[in-house]
Amino acid sequence: MTESPTIGAVVALAALLIGAPLVPGLAARAKAIATGRRGPPVWQLYADLWRLARRGIVYSTTTTWVFRLAPPVLVATTIAAASLLPLDGRGSVLRFAGDAVGFAYLFALGRFVLVLAALDTGSSFEGMGASRDVTFAMLVEPGLFVALAALGITAHDFSLTAMLGGTAARPAAGVVTPALVMVALSLFALSLAECARVPVDDPTTHLELTMVHEVMVLDHSGPDLAMLLYANALKLAVFAAIIVGVLLPVPRRGGVMGVGSLLAGLIAMGIAIGLVESAMARLRLPKVPLYIAGGSALALFGLILLLR
Amino acid sequence: MTLFLIGLALVLAGGVSAVATRRGDGRRGDVLYQALVAGGCVAAAVDPARVLAGRPAVTLAVRATTPGGDWVLGIDALSAVFLVAVLGVSALCAVFGTHDLRREAADHHDGVRRPTWFAQLSFAVLVVAIALVVAARSVVVFLGAWEVMAIGSYVLIVTHHEVADVRRAGLIYLVATHTATLALFVMFSTWQVGASDWTFAALGAASPSLSAGARLAILLLALFAFGFKAGLVPLHFWLPPAHAAAPSHVSALMSGVVIKTGIYGLLRVLLMLGGAPAWWGWLVLGIGATSGVLGVLWALAQHDTKRLLAYHSVENIGIILMGIGVGVLGVAHGAPAIALLGFAGGLLHTVNHALFKSLLFLGAGAVYRATGTRNMEELGGLARRMPWTWAGFIIGAAAIIGVPPFNGFVSEWLVYQGLFAAGQSSELLRLALLGIPALALIGALALACFTKVAGVVFLGTARSARAAGAEEAGRGAIAAMLLLAGTCVVLGSLPPLGLALVTGAARALAGTSVVVPEAVVSSAWTISLLALVTAGLVSVLWAVRTAALRRRIVRYEPTWGCGYDAVTPRMQYTASSFASSILGMFGRLSGARVEKTALALHTHSVDLVLDGVALPMWSAMHRVALRMRALQHGGGRLHFYLLSILGALLALLAYLVVGPRP
Repeated sequence: MTESPTIGAVVALAALLIGAPLVPGLAARAKAIATGRRGPPVWQLYADLWRLARRGIVYSTTTTWVFRLAPPVLVATTIAAASLLPLDGRGSVLRFAGDAVGFAYLFALGRFVLVLAALDTGSSFEGMGASRDVTFAMLVEPGLFVALAALGITAHDFSLTAMLGGTAARPAAGVVTPALVMVALSLFALSLAECARVPVDDPTTHLELTMVHEVMVLDHSGPDLAMLLYANALKLAVFAAIIVGVLLPVPRRGGVMGVGSLLAGLIAMGIAIGLVESAMARLRLPKVPLYIAGGSALALFGLILLLR
Repeated sequence: MTLFLIGLALVLAGGVSAVATRRGDGRRGDVLYQALVAGGCVAAAVDPARVLAGRPAVTLAVRATTPGGDWVLGIDALSAVFLVAVLGVSALCAVFGTHDLRREAADHHDGVRRPTWFAQLSFAVLVVAIALVVAARSVVVFLGAWEVMAIGSYVLIVTHHEVADVRRAGLIYLVATHTATLALFVMFSTWQVGASDWTFAALGAASPSLSAGARLAILLLALFAFGFKAGLVPLHFWLPPAHAAAPSHVSALMSGVVIKTGIYGLLRVLLMLGGAPAWWGWLVLGIGATSGVLGVLWALAQHDTKRLLAYHSVENIGIILMGIGVGVLGVAHGAPAIALLGFAGGLLHTVNHALFKSLLFLGAGAVYRATGTRNMEELGGLARRMPWTWAGFIIGAAAIIGVPPFNGFVSEWLVYQGLFAAGQSSELLRLALLGIPALALIGALALACFTKVAGVVFLGTARSARAAGAEEAGRGAIAAMLLLAGTCVVLGSLPPLGLALVTGAARALAGTSVVVPEAVVSSAWTISLLALVTAGLVSVLWAVRTAALRRRIVRYEPTWGCGYDAVTPRMQYTASSFASSILGMFGRLSGARVEKTALALHTHSVDLVLDGVALPMWSAMHRVALRMRALQHGGGRLHFYLLSILGALLALLAYLVVGPRP
């Protein structure tokens, strides 16, 4: 279990960390093209991050150390969660029995500090965003765990490396069963909710009252905001990597192929998000639970098929 | 074993010292009391620690000719786990309590000057009683200690008896605990029929020859009686009012330790009975999941910090029961490896919950002492006024949510693994997989709930003058909180430690042939590594940002009000608003009643079991009893009363003549 990580795993993690800002960029670009505009360049987020990282910061006088702690913790937990994934298709940087639980709870830790940072400002807008965020998380979490359990049942192991990677004894190697497709679709639907994208949240909205994730980070600026934006992009990339792992099963990849399929997955994820965003508007708040429940039900169907 | 008894004697001596020094200025008496109670707890914990380190279990029997037979005490792996948690938490609660009582006596802002010696004496007696419950090996000692524990808790709950709500909470608690005790009497009597005497060893030896009916009765009565004490849904209704009414360090002790004796009782019965059938495992697992989800949902509806924490105890008892349920199912299906994971997870969560829940109660107590209110809507901004309390509270909150690298994660990780391992088997056991989304839902709701408490109480700006003028707790109180917080971090970032703590007891329950898989042990170390990596990344990012900002402009401005610049603290999001979106989804089940007016949103909560079932039932019983009283008094007709006595005697006589012969 504690075998040292392969070079391939480390390289793939580096590729994910570097390539992550592509996903929102591609989404914006794909949406623009699909709606007949030119849109910003694909690497817009890199430019934004660079610009923000060189700025100063305005802190609210109400805030305490929690507000300053949130951005580093959010980035760190997301990177730690990514290190549990077999990104090159073979092995992960870190692995332990039942690490799927650790993966989900690392995201929870990030959410915990981010929500506290939002409440730290004492702003009613950010409190509202925080309340909505924990509500959606409450809906997403059971579905996410059903999907993870379904993958675990396939691999006979509750570890992400076994579920998604090459070391697994995944039966009928190379075959993607309908159940797995359902799980992948469910993960895609849930990732849109988890990462605050349309149809649950709209990152481009301009009215504070309609925001969820964006309004929580209203008071962050400069390098702090850069870290938050980066963490969100990385979260999207992590979900893309999981979906790649579900749909491209063993034995496969490793080395150049592994990193290549990972990057292809990031690009596909970005384009898919862009197409979803150009095809539909954000749902009204009371409809969001139905959307997430639908996504979770898909994973549950997959699990039932696997248990049959 | 001698050191254990000496330690308990020291604790008692601490209680007596509080009485002896009551006339002094209090300072010297406080030091003596703390030293004796804490020192006694440490001394008493040496024997259990030895057993945990691998020494053989010890017993001590005192020949007694009193009814009920010999008085036997013993420390085995199961008792040792509970004893270490009980004694550690008790010592710190005693330290906090001394400071809290002193400060209360100093400012007595409720207008009543209360002597502290009585509370301190009862506390010491309570601690000794809890330790004896866990160490008892014969029915008479167990029930005796159990009853002292119940009464001791009652006496402490009604410390502020001049408040009507407190008296009511005490009464509800008394009814609940004695109903449970009654069930215990019936259970032990049923069990003892085939046994040679009243020791646990004899009962254990007699259990294979129990009839099917007796076994069924014992299992159900144990779940009822110990479930009442532990506070599982729907027997939890006494818990929130009692915990809210008691002084903070007593709430911490009750929630952290006293309700765990219910869990201990269940496990002891399992051990003596040699396992339970699968249906009982399903029952425990189902009740666990229900308690978990409903407990945290009802917690979310509370605006009283201590009631909220009390409902969280219901939730965590649910998680513990889920672990135990998996364990029982594993044994019943002949899969000891699954059972081991379940029992280890349940036991470790018991220890973890004792730590972080007492920490949170002490934090809430410090806030109450500083502000005089438990209503979250009047608090806010305390992180600046009470930085140490805040540091302890946020660690406790992270631990109870179950995020790494805090101790709650380790035990939930084990329970998840137990559920998953059960889900992989090919039998009916697979259905245990449904526990996974339930546990995930519990975790996410707990996150919502604790961001609410931490955010509304400690962050933002003060919502009242009381919160604005709060002062940090005393040094001893802070030390108690930070020690608990430190233990949460240590057990969370070194998971093998916690695993080693409970392995012996879990093996005793799951079957001694099974060992903890190598994969789990090495995985526990990997979690340490993960914690280290995450902490390292955080510090690197923090350092890089600090270095980068050194040459840049950092300004401090009011919070961005979206263009509106007359913001007041009253415009902050309230606890009601924060919770309303989730509570709304659960409708009436959430127990929250919402009042919306054009200007304000208020929610208040009702307990579905207490207000919906128990109280109506009791008032119905009261009405029937009032009718019956007419029989007794007979409207002044004495001859009617005498006639009814005669009738009863005749009926008894008839039973003796025609009834079964002994």
